[in-house]
Amino acid sequence: MNRSFAHLETQRLARCRLLEEILRRRLPGGGGWGHRGEQFGAEPTALALLALHSESIVLRERIEPLMARQGTDGLWSDVGDPMSVNFWATALAVNTLSILGAEPTTYADSVEALIRSRPMEASWLVSLKFRFLDRHVRFDPRKYGWPWVPETVSWVAPTAMALIALERAKRRGLGRGGELQRRLRLGTEMLIDRACPGGGWNAGNAVVYGVPLRPHVDTTALALLALRPLYHLPIVRNSLRWLLRNAECPSAYSLAWMILAADVYKDVEITVSPAINSARNRLAALVEDPRTIEDTSTIALAAPALDLDPISNPFEVEE
Amino acid sequence: MNRRVFGAAAIAGTGALAARRMLSTGSLQDRRKPRSRVAVIHQESYSDRLDQTLADGLRLFNLDLSGKTVLLKPNLVESIPGREVNTNPRLVGAAATAFLTLGAKTVLVGEGPGHQRDTMLVLAETGLETELRERRIRFVDLNRDEVVKVPLKTRFTGLEFLWLPRTVLVSDFVVSMPKVKTHHWAGVTLSMKNLFGVVPGVAYGWPKNPLHWRGIDRSILDINAAVPAHFVIADGIVGMEGNGPLHGSPRNLGRIVMADDPVAADFTCAQLMGLNPARVNYLTQAAEFLGNGAPQRIVHLGESLPRTVAPFAVLPEFAHLRL
Repeated sequence: MNRSFAHLETQRLARCRLLEEILRRRLPGGGGWGHRGEQFGAEPTALALLALHSESIVLRERIEPLMARQGTDGLWSDVGDPMSVNFWATALAVNTLSILGAEPTTYADSVEALIRSRPMEASWLVSLKFRFLDRHVRFDPRKYGWPWVPETVSWVAPTAMALIALERAKRRGLGRGGELQRRLRLGTEMLIDRACPGGGWNAGNAVVYGVPLRPHVDTTALALLALRPLYHLPIVRNSLRWLLRNAECPSAYSLAWMILAADVYKDVEITVSPAINSARNRLAALVEDPRTIEDTSTIALAAPALDLDPISNPFEVEE
Repeated sequence: MNRRVFGAAAIAGTGALAARRMLSTGSLQDRRKPRSRVAVIHQESYSDRLDQTLADGLRLFNLDLSGKTVLLKPNLVESIPGREVNTNPRLVGAAATAFLTLGAKTVLVGEGPGHQRDTMLVLAETGLETELRERRIRFVDLNRDEVVKVPLKTRFTGLEFLWLPRTVLVSDFVVSMPKVKTHHWAGVTLSMKNLFGVVPGVAYGWPKNPLHWRGIDRSILDINAAVPAHFVIADGIVGMEGNGPLHGSPRNLGRIVMADDPVAADFTCAQLMGLNPARVNYLTQAAEFLGNGAPQRIVHLGESLPRTVAPFAVLPEFAHLRL
């Protein structure tokens, strides 16, 4: 058995164990998944459904674990409480329902709610404050995306996921044309505006008190997934290079995002495939015993990242 | 007194008056003990002696830990080479062992970093993962723990409740383990500010932006009133000055500060930093109801405070804090 075959077999076995663990962690009554313990979480539920879908595993409850937690306004919370709206959780849920082939009417209100939502800097007063009074954090508040929760400003992770979900929803015929296009454009501009000077993304600020912040692997991966159509931009290419240098990242959650993001660039950048191979070997080792990983999101994200023959990448922006 | 000092003093004074008014109307419960105990302990480095230093230091307090679950809450932000950003892993490990030696049933370490979503990455990069594995201590990611809706006892932020991690709420003895640092928004980040890390990212995002918009000072007060730390072990062996909490410079302070009152601990740490705690807005307000700031109500079990200290460098916005 040659070395590369052995690696592939290790990855395949790791993936099987991850899927078994995902099934083992289902909440009683088919109520979805929790981050840890028995409390529903929208993120682990959406990611677990995607992981099982990529293996063509269909559960009896199908999309019900997500639909049961959708608020009347179409939005989701990540902690299962309808009053605690979370735009990251909502975007993940919309993207998941879309990939699972749910009837578009089930999440049409969610798409509209995402398009309608505004971060704090969309208000002219707050925008003026950041443009002229409070300049400790360098950013252009006229370019905004999505916050984590209402009444706060835009951040990279929820913005990237909202862009991915809305692009997919657009192809399902959802969303009002002009306003949808405007939000997609503004969100994209926001990501580019908030990139770290040398490439990559921190949580959402690039320069604070004149000091450039360091990029994070997971947020950089998310932004790169959302910005795939803009590969021609130097900031996107630089960010990809930065990401590929992190194939030895010691954490499964970040590494899984790194693989999924790099995967969508493998047709345009020759160094991507070797980096993915290396990262997959590392990831397979990190998740060797998934029972020791507390966060179900990590397990559910690692499974598609180790998929050697993916039907489709669940976070790839359709062109 | 220049204009900035006057402004800061005025804000702190107004805050303290507001807290006093709330106390007098009964809307705020006075939780101060008659006396708080603080031990300033000399420790020059993160050496093998730390285990002994921690055990000796804790014995000064005669804590009843028998059968208790102790949660250590260090300050983990992210790993930046060359920067003293995080509570040193060896100090956390030594504290865990010391609490077990003194009779605790279980010791857990929990944290929910504010900006870095991948808590396990921070754990690995800071070396805390290895430290805890070697000592067989469990870590809980407070950003992704089960959460409980907790009605607030104070309304400084105007929020009626906070989502808080179940692990924190069921622990018998919560220990705040801050890094002694300056902070570009709050002035200083010590044991009270450190409790921002118990607020779960799954409910509030990364960073915990709703609390920033409600005011960092006000949020610190509400969080500490909701989740009082029972004990403090502050990492002042090497602190951070200047543009903290991430990009400041290391500052050798050579001290560990232990206390059974977070307010007393933070007043003491600020003084060790050469800063005036009475000019830190949230500390002034906290000293009205959460804990003791007045010197006559703080008993020093270890070293006494040095008479003179070269003040920590601070950003110009916080120049008024320097003694």
